[in-house]
Amino acid sequence: MKYLMLIYGNQEKWDSILAEEWPGAIAKQEAFNRKYSDTGELIGAYGLADAVNARLVRRQDGAPAVTDGPYLETKEYIASLYLVDCENAERAEQIAADMPWADQEPTEVWPILHESPTNP
Amino acid sequence: MTADRDPGDLLRELAPQVLGALLRRFGHFDLCEDATQEALLAAALQWPRDGTPDNPRGWLITVAARRLMDAARSEQSRRRREDQVAVATPQSELLSPAADADPGQDRDDSLALLFGCCHPALSAPSQIALTLRAVGGLTTAQIAAAFLVPEATMAQRISRAKQAIKASDVPLSVPASEAERGDRLRAVLHVLYLIFNEGYAATQGDQLTRPDLSGESIRLARWLRRLLPDDPEVAALLALMLLTEARRPARTSPGGELVPLAEQDRGRWDQALIAEGVALVTGALAAGGKAVGPYQLQAAIAAVHDEAKDVDATDWPQILALYDLLDRVAPNPVSSLSRVVAVARVRGPAAGLDALAELESDRRVAGYHRLLATRAHLLGLAGQHGPAASAYREAARRATSVPERRYLSRMAAQQAAQAAG
Repeated sequence: MKYLMLIYGNQEKWDSILAEEWPGAIAKQEAFNRKYSDTGELIGAYGLADAVNARLVRRQDGAPAVTDGPYLETKEYIASLYLVDCENAERAEQIAADMPWADQEPTEVWPILHESPTNP
Repeated sequence: MTADRDPGDLLRELAPQVLGALLRRFGHFDLCEDATQEALLAAALQWPRDGTPDNPRGWLITVAARRLMDAARSEQSRRRREDQVAVATPQSELLSPAADADPGQDRDDSLALLFGCCHPALSAPSQIALTLRAVGGLTTAQIAAAFLVPEATMAQRISRAKQAIKASDVPLSVPASEAERGDRLRAVLHVLYLIFNEGYAATQGDQLTRPDLSGESIRLARWLRRLLPDDPEVAALLALMLLTEARRPARTSPGGELVPLAEQDRGRWDQALIAEGVALVTGALAAGGKAVGPYQLQAAIAAVHDEAKDVDATDWPQILALYDLLDRVAPNPVSSLSRVVAVARVRGPAAGLDALAELESDRRVAGYHRLLATRAHLLGLAGQHGPAASAYREAARRATSVPERRYLSRMAAQQAAQAAG
């Protein structure tokens, strides 16, 4: 069963981390990624740009119409996402609880219901 | 003698024999498995071009052994001790001729390999991946395609599984004690059953690129039955697979929607598979004696369904009796729910709802979509269409696959229409 794991944050939160703490924080996350990649459970880990860099795209008269956004009502937005394929929900919860910052920040765990058969 | 066979089929049949033979001499599951895969790959490239050798098994063992020696030599400095074992084994000892090979030895090699792949140190996904590769002879790319994960992820899973076997102190052999052998065999049967279900649940995907896992699990179950012809649970597992597979042509509509057993066009069921499955389970039950195993009971239930010309002609009292036994032998939430449906058929929907209420107190299944779907079904039978529609909607929300969700939503709409009408 595949699961999407999401971590939320915002610029304020990133700014609160001291510059000298970043390498250690990144190393911890990379150690997590390596650990679950090695078990054959982590399919991919991705970090998103800040919300100011996000765009909303529509189609108008057959051409892309691009605006700033999204205008979020929540204070925090998706910061990174992980695609995991593991035995069951218990295992997914165990992996999520092993995230480096799980004792401070929750991780959302979403079961994946469908995936395209054309996925690589 | 092998000229008219598909080389791919032949290779996959020989894969576990070759690996089993190497393992017996060398141990070192990880190295032997890699060497066997390389030999299979070499054969897949060379045989179509140069023709199949007279002794394909011997050819594969020779090539695999050579690869193993090369690998051992290249690691010589690092792993002096292991290397001495490998290099000290004379090649002649490795190459027992196929013509007078001891079939008992071959059988034990193959069983030891299968038991190794379903090693207790491994998680179910790892057991499945390793079994498909080492015993089924599928490539990592094929297994990755079957489970819709990238090849690198599957390669990592297989490599980790081999490391776990290496690190564990559970020996790679058929356990001598009857009890331990029984436990390990149960794990093997469970893995084959999971592979079958994975294939049976797949209702979409390109069949050309996604290997047919149900067909593969049936092939492996037939192979295991040849190794253990007297084990009633092995025969029953094969029977269960055949009796379930027989319904495949009728289980989805042309639009790809799930069709429940009660509504399937039974004229489209595969009668040859049913006949074979019924004969197998009948034999297994006769041979099984007093201690009836869970696969014998599940196969017997499947046989009763498959032999009924429609849902009303089904021998529900017999099905209920079999589920009662199954609840005692191997209690599990899914079969308990099926038992509730049988209760409703025999004693009426109200009795079914009472039986369901007992299950609902079990925290493990309380929010389970199949429990909600069962309740919806029973409420519908009882004429309570409004509550049935809500229960179907709630079940649809909690479903874990798209075909199930679509089916449950359709049922919710049907019940809502009946409630309004």
